[in-house]
Amino acid sequence: MPPKSRFTRLDAFTKTVDEARVRTTSGGIITIASLLIVLWLAWGEWADYRRIVIHPELIVDKGRSEKMEIHLNITFPNIPCELLTLDVMDVSGEQQVGVMHGVSKVRLAPQSEGGRVIDVKALDLHSDEDKATHLDPDYCGGCYGATPPPNAQKPGCCNTCDEVREAYASVSWAFGRGENVEQCEREHYGERLDSQRKEGCRIEGSLRVNKVVGNFHIAPGRSFSNGNMHVHDLNNYFDTPIPGGHLFNHQIHYLRFGPQLPEELSKKMSTKTSYWTNHHMNPLDDTEKITHDPAYNFMYFIKVVSTSYLPLGWENQDAHPGDNEVGLGAYGHLNDGSVETHQYSVTSHRRSLNGGDDSGEGHKEKVHARGGIPGVFFSYDISPMKVINREERSKTLTGFLTGLCAIIGGTLTVAAAVDRGLYEGGTRLKKMQSKNL
Amino acid sequence: MNGFAGHGLDEDAFGEKGNIVSAFDAFPKSKPQYVTRTSGGGKWTVAMLIASFLLISSEFLRWWRGHENHTFAVEKGVGHNLQINLDIVLAMHCNEIHINVQDAAGDRILAADMLKEDPTNWSQWVDKRGMHGLGKDSQGRIVTGEGYHEHEEGFGEEHVHDIIAAAGGGRKAKFSKTPRLRGGPAGGDSCRIYGSLEVNKVQGDFHITARGHGYQEWGAQHLDHNAFNFSHIISELSFGTFYPGLLNPLDRTVSTTPNHFHKFQYFLSVVPTVYTVDSSTYGSSTIFTNQYAVTEQSHIIGERAVPGIFFKYDIEPLLLSVEESRDGFLRFVVKVVNVFSGVLVAGHWGFTFTEWAITVLGKRRRQMSEGVLNGRAHESYD
Repeated sequence: MPPKSRFTRLDAFTKTVDEARVRTTSGGIITIASLLIVLWLAWGEWADYRRIVIHPELIVDKGRSEKMEIHLNITFPNIPCELLTLDVMDVSGEQQVGVMHGVSKVRLAPQSEGGRVIDVKALDLHSDEDKATHLDPDYCGGCYGATPPPNAQKPGCCNTCDEVREAYASVSWAFGRGENVEQCEREHYGERLDSQRKEGCRIEGSLRVNKVVGNFHIAPGRSFSNGNMHVHDLNNYFDTPIPGGHLFNHQIHYLRFGPQLPEELSKKMSTKTSYWTNHHMNPLDDTEKITHDPAYNFMYFIKVVSTSYLPLGWENQDAHPGDNEVGLGAYGHLNDGSVETHQYSVTSHRRSLNGGDDSGEGHKEKVHARGGIPGVFFSYDISPMKVINREERSKTLTGFLTGLCAIIGGTLTVAAAVDRGLYEGGTRLKKMQSKNL
Repeated sequence: MNGFAGHGLDEDAFGEKGNIVSAFDAFPKSKPQYVTRTSGGGKWTVAMLIASFLLISSEFLRWWRGHENHTFAVEKGVGHNLQINLDIVLAMHCNEIHINVQDAAGDRILAADMLKEDPTNWSQWVDKRGMHGLGKDSQGRIVTGEGYHEHEEGFGEEHVHDIIAAAGGGRKAKFSKTPRLRGGPAGGDSCRIYGSLEVNKVQGDFHITARGHGYQEWGAQHLDHNAFNFSHIISELSFGTFYPGLLNPLDRTVSTTPNHFHKFQYFLSVVPTVYTVDSSTYGSSTIFTNQYAVTEQSHIIGERAVPGIFFKYDIEPLLLSVEESRDGFLRFVVKVVNVFSGVLVAGHWGFTFTEWAITVLGKRRRQMSEGVLNGRAHESYD
């Protein structure tokens, strides 16, 4: 036996000499049971440690001069592409500057003929199509009193029907079907328009806009600004040979601001409160609106909330690539796997341009405004708050180890106490019984 | 009793020989003849028991109270309508006022068609308990109203289960009846406007103005300016489903003015809120309501401007979700076991340490007193 040191008294782990030790069946059962319990709890602790939770944070959006991408895909079954225009404006009604376009118009066959795709054409502000290349190089078409467009093929001339239309728009004249306009009759503008009357149109693509309050709308006719007014040339829309006229029925396949998060992430984020919320599910996706009135106006009031998603390996690196370096559609995906996107909440509203009340929906007290432009209007507002969804481990390694120790120690100590109690109770009983005997 | 005793006897008979199960017994037990009990150990045991009792009871209280979890999210789905519930007494006759909503969608909502208007007397409302100015009483002190001490101002401080209980668990709530006219001039001098109406869920302006002022109307008689009195009592102004039990910031507030041309403006920011309680005692229940923040502004205006009461509301895109939940019972048991055993082990260590300290100190003292032969040291040792 080693010499008794001073610390021997301090031994917290007093050991019973083997001769004085008792092993009992109840003790064995308790040992096994407690071991099982420890294993079970430790497994739970491990699962807890491995779990990745998504921790939302709310901050004030401090970004400056940011851009935002709008991805849209909307089908209009009753309006030909020729008639539709897409305008992006900021809150004051001025055209937004620096909008990057990547939107195309897809001509769809009439629904009675199956609605297949006829033709895809990029929606561009100034397309080079329908060039009058077969014309005499010295030809200079007149603009019929309107100012020639500044970007005409030949300065000071209106050589194509499009240029005449643009010239008309710039001075706020209605254009109509182009009767008596030489360029348009040559290009068969009116006939082409009439032949397309039954077609539908799908507008799909992306826009990159400044992250300021604004709106974009899809309305018939060429648009032009007249002082403070934003006006569309509605002549061709209302003056149509089709029975029932063109309708602004539309199906929104998707409308989102910024990139879409992968499916599994949205699943991971769904919690008990998900009944009320849409974790990165865009509320307008796959919605449809139907009207039977050509003069009808649909409005969507959208509130955009910036959201970023930071995965587990995310590190705070300022690797924001320059805005212009990234192609459309890639904006918001950063190299470290984090995603900068936007969620939105939306309120929809619809009214007839003739005013009237909402008695059809049981709200006869609602009196709609009169007038305006038929079309689909999206006005978006940017929230000052930003949501950060950060992936985190629910426990650190030390936290896990602490929990493990607590489980093992706690269970074993309590089991020891229970065992001791059983043993001592048993011996007392035995003593009493032997006395009684 | 007998069974246990029999078991004990069995163990005495076979246990010592060591069957397979007892071989696993990892807990050292000593035969009673080798165990000593000291008074020091007894004291430590009592102290340990008290300590563990205190810790466990505090742990239990914490578990029982549960915890509140505040999260936020962007509201789901395409919104259309928002319900406004209001109950306002205005010191003007019912036929002298116009109630309308104008919103960002361009709609004008003739709210008067949806709301009830009852003639009443101003004096029957102004003395009601709990009525107070916005955050202040008549002396300018901030009060929350007599008899409403269980509610703090707003319900930020309350527990979720209180809010859900106050909301009344989904019963169809109704506005109280207008009390019968007592005293005052015949036909009453005031108008109580109450009810619920649906507006578009967009930014809007709900306003009460005088007849013939502000809106162009056919055949509306011009109202005498001396009849204008936009003093008002707001008994209820809430958004969403009507829960009379929930206290909103503007509820039970009085605003008075002696002027005829006075403009009251309230700027409201509506925050959709979901309260959820998820526990065994309260059951799982959820209410969806809207809170709001309000700023008030009121001032005298010139005779050319439009007097009235204007509520300008806007809806926040972020939804607040407050969830009260309690850990599972098993988790609590594990915690209790941990606390108890922790105290047990710590107590054991403490006991061993004190025993050791006493012996070591005692030995040294004895050596010192023997070596230095000092009477004082001897005394102190005793």
